[in-house]
Amino acid sequence: MRIARLICAALLCGGASGALAHGSETHAAPAIPEQSAAVTPLPWDIGGPFALVDHTGAARTEADPDGKMQLVFFGYANCPGICNAALPMMAEVTDLLAARDIAASPVLITIDPVLDTVASMGPALAEISDDFVGLTGTPEALGLAYKAFQISFTKIMDDPKHGPIYAHGSHIYLLDGAGKVLTLLPPVLSPDQAAGVIAKYAKPRGAS
Amino acid sequence: MRIIAMSLCLLVSGTFGAQASEGERVQIKGEIIDTWCYYSGVMGGPDAVTGSAHHTCALWCSAGGIPVGLLAEDGTVYMVLKIKGDANSAGGDTQLNLASHEITADGILYKRDGLNYLVVEKVVTDHGITNLNHEDYGPIPGFAIPDPTK
Repeated sequence: MRIARLICAALLCGGASGALAHGSETHAAPAIPEQSAAVTPLPWDIGGPFALVDHTGAARTEADPDGKMQLVFFGYANCPGICNAALPMMAEVTDLLAARDIAASPVLITIDPVLDTVASMGPALAEISDDFVGLTGTPEALGLAYKAFQISFTKIMDDPKHGPIYAHGSHIYLLDGAGKVLTLLPPVLSPDQAAGVIAKYAKPRGAS
Repeated sequence: MRIIAMSLCLLVSGTFGAQASEGERVQIKGEIIDTWCYYSGVMGGPDAVTGSAHHTCALWCSAGGIPVGLLAEDGTVYMVLKIKGDANSAGGDTQLNLASHEITADGILYKRDGLNYLVVEKVVTDHGITNLNHEDYGPIPGFAIPDPTK
């Protein structure tokens, strides 16, 4: 259990504020460089159609019903590892974007449909943000989403407290309202930095 | 003991080769770092969250899904998407074996959103852990070292 605590501490230290530093001090961190105009196409063709069910039981595809941009993460709702940091970060980014009049939805696509059901995902995600959309489905339907996004994960073990523990990815995908992948976001970005990146992809209101 | 090991989902697809020319081939010498602790500053300043001082925590973070980075000699950080045949940016055997190591990497650089992404096609040289800053800082953070009595 000691090792688990260490891992969680290592992860949570970044997901939370500097208050979790050793002691109460924080340290000057090197800034991520200002965004440059250079854009290289991503080195893979990623994304595609899927048909899942959201945490309310409604059908949901890769397209947002309201045409909003989407921040998509593959994980599971009670993941004690990276999701524990990435999901709150996504929620905060959504709030920051809303303050800039940019609508976006944070979306979690489960990697464990047994663990994350229509009934269980909503309450778990609501603890992070009411904005969160949880998507689950049949193994076959989820498999199509994994294939589209080239998702790989491995079940590591069953933890007595948390249940199944998976090895899985940690990047966040930015999709437009139609479900096209626009870019990816490393989970190490601060919410402000991530919101800044996303804002550059946002269409002005009224644009088609 | 519970081990939470997560690896990155970014499998570079079979189409990568056809599109690789859109990136820039580079050869970079630098240290494989824990990008979370490096950027967040919550575990210490940048000099303390690299090298041997941060090696144990870097292993935990990589195993926990934090993408590794390559901190070049000029201070530029490259977010590593993949290292030679290991379709992960974190937690894979290659990433864990190279944590805190100084390497010379040959690969393809992609620039996007103000960030540098690197697909390491070949580790030309693994120089090992050359930044022995534990002599100055000790383990950072200290609690990264498991207590064998517990």
